[in-house]
Amino acid sequence: MSELRVVCYLNQFFGQIGGEDKAGVAPRVLREAAGAARAVQQALGDAGRVVATVVAGDNYVAEREDGAIGELVELVAAEKPDLLVAGPTFLAGRYGVACGALCAAVQARLGVPAVTGMHPENPGVEMYRRRVLVARTGADAARMLDEVRRLVGLGVRLARREPIGAPDAEGYFPRGIIRNVVAGETAAKRATAMLLDKLAGRAVASEVPLPDFPRIPAPPPVRDLGRAVIALVTDGGIVPLGNPDGIEALAATRFGAYSIEGRAGLDPGQYDNVHRGYDTSFVRQDPHRLVPVDVARELEREGAIGKLHETVYSTTGVATTLAHSERMGREIAAKLRAARVDAVILTST
Amino acid sequence: MRLELLWSEVTAVAPGAATRLAGGALEIDLAGLTALLEADPRLERVHIDLASPGEACRIGRVFDVYAPRAKDDGDGDFPGLLGPPVRAGRGRTRALGGVAVVVTDQQPDRSAALAVIDMSGPVAELTAFARTHNVVISASPAPGTGRSEYLAAIRQAGLRTAVHLAQAARGAEPDAVEVFDLPAPARVPPALAHLPRVAYVFQIHSHQRPTGLDEGILYGDPVRRMLPTVIHPNEVLDGAVVRGFMGRAVTTWATQNHPVIRELYAQHGRTLAFVGTVLTVAQATEPERVRSAVMAAGLVADVLGADGAVFTKIGGGAPHVDMAQAAAQCEARGVKTTLLVEDMSTDGSEEGMLLFNFPGLDALVNVGSAQDSVTLPPMARVIGMEGAAGGPSTYGTVCGAIEQVGASRVMSQVQ
Repeated sequence: MSELRVVCYLNQFFGQIGGEDKAGVAPRVLREAAGAARAVQQALGDAGRVVATVVAGDNYVAEREDGAIGELVELVAAEKPDLLVAGPTFLAGRYGVACGALCAAVQARLGVPAVTGMHPENPGVEMYRRRVLVARTGADAARMLDEVRRLVGLGVRLARREPIGAPDAEGYFPRGIIRNVVAGETAAKRATAMLLDKLAGRAVASEVPLPDFPRIPAPPPVRDLGRAVIALVTDGGIVPLGNPDGIEALAATRFGAYSIEGRAGLDPGQYDNVHRGYDTSFVRQDPHRLVPVDVARELEREGAIGKLHETVYSTTGVATTLAHSERMGREIAAKLRAARVDAVILTST
Repeated sequence: MRLELLWSEVTAVAPGAATRLAGGALEIDLAGLTALLEADPRLERVHIDLASPGEACRIGRVFDVYAPRAKDDGDGDFPGLLGPPVRAGRGRTRALGGVAVVVTDQQPDRSAALAVIDMSGPVAELTAFARTHNVVISASPAPGTGRSEYLAAIRQAGLRTAVHLAQAARGAEPDAVEVFDLPAPARVPPALAHLPRVAYVFQIHSHQRPTGLDEGILYGDPVRRMLPTVIHPNEVLDGAVVRGFMGRAVTTWATQNHPVIRELYAQHGRTLAFVGTVLTVAQATEPERVRSAVMAAGLVADVLGADGAVFTKIGGGAPHVDMAQAAAQCEARGVKTTLLVEDMSTDGSEEGMLLFNFPGLDALVNVGSAQDSVTLPPMARVIGMEGAAGGPSTYGTVCGAIEQVGASRVMSQVQ
């Protein structure tokens, strides 16, 4: 295994420039393992060499945000490293946030793996643990060498693309990514043991974190339906024949906008359904079971609603990621708002 | 209700002049078995391969896997599918250990996904079927045989073969006898009265995809309008339930050797009293789903009188939520639950693992992510599919690696 080129990032204090009075110092590069980076070199042993230590003042970075991070990324890039080790920062808040931001930027812009270390209460943990491998440390440098050893061990495996175990066992904050591992017992045995624990009132360690679905408040009621413009939107997967927008059958990232202008209803011969999560045979027979254009037109004629919006929006809601669901929802809502639509009938399956 | 499984351990499988069990060696009359299976007018070009653990061999386009079993007195094998729907779960059943019947799908269809079994190499560790001697049945559809008809035919071929092989053990002294004997729940003896009463809620199909007319699942019935049903767990162990045609989330093998039922039996009388099994199907519409959840919870709480219940599901998102609604109804009635779930995220992120968050459903075990990547190595011999098909793949393609009923050990971990 070839020796890794490692760059360390430290604040003014751990870089041995000075205390709070030196927190404004501009970035500088030392072509050696300086200050706390000496512990990194010691932990690396033969696995790698600290080719440079980049040091900057806490306030210098905090006051310039992206600008300072951009400068630091340039300095790191110039050393062509295989790995960036930032900190550890313990409870130091400005330092933790700077290390998280630098690690995230170095990974994203340079494609170079990066690790840092923090105390659970450092604000940098919640800000960056999903993007950056953050090792868990104590509140201060009392156990510096042991903690740097663990941090460096994680970094070396990251740089060598070797697998990393469970957060608790390895001592890092969960990044929220999922990997398959082989457990000691079958799922059936684990479930039975867990039930017995629950029945006995013992603590239960669920293997799946419970999602925190945001509560969406209901909008105020439509005051005068007789003057309202109503749109039909569905995640039930109706598409024109041939699926011109290529809407995915599963885990959708796209939605379609389909005109119903001049149509009293939807002709089953002109529509298909690409949703893979339910039995679509009934809505293929009659698309109105999903998108009630027929009834909406009647209500429009009777004056019960002001007007039916002439565009139907459709996607497939099946194993769709929360991120894409939220984005598509926002995009559809923006188009409806621009078209002065007052209310939506959203049909799901 | 008492069931005895008479186990004969098989250590080698080879072609022979007649199908018989000699010591631990199973000899199979391949020509005779082929002729038996070719008698089905829906099938042609029936081909039988043998593959043993450690061989550099891949079995491809696996449709399902069956455990060789045969009633010792000749009646009631896979009731409703191979014969009249007599009650399963009592009497004596011959079982062969170390052998599996693997049926491959030779009618590629856009919904038929690749599922493989590697008999050696890194992926072999993931599946129990690399450790069995596999009798691999590959058959083509006769002209004019539709998809559902074909799948029914190959499943029947697999079940017939499972019975045929296990019948070879008749008259042999079994290597081990397992006894499954539970009293009726109302008659749990006073000696067990101090133990928590535990039930199992087994979802056997999802109506996201309606069953075909040929798709018998429970005693040969396609469970189209099935409402929650109490069944004795022995009936599941004895062939009353087989997998339908959808997906590869559960094999019939895992159902025949049901890991939750076996574990509840193992704990029965020690840490819990196993009071029974409720079968459900994942429903297609909201009213049906609610009705089913309420009824399932009623059977668990008020008919079986359970204090706790284990839940499993079959298939994807709708079954996942269906199971959770039934479990939430149980929790609302004071019945504690644990649920086996498959990771549902499509982007490998923690947020998407679960599609529900109901009060009380806080004890979840997971059977891994079908979408996580795994590499299939090249393999010298390939059965049942064209080409070696090595290379990057996913856990979902390894038959037996992810069994939603909990037979497998793969789990996803948040890192």
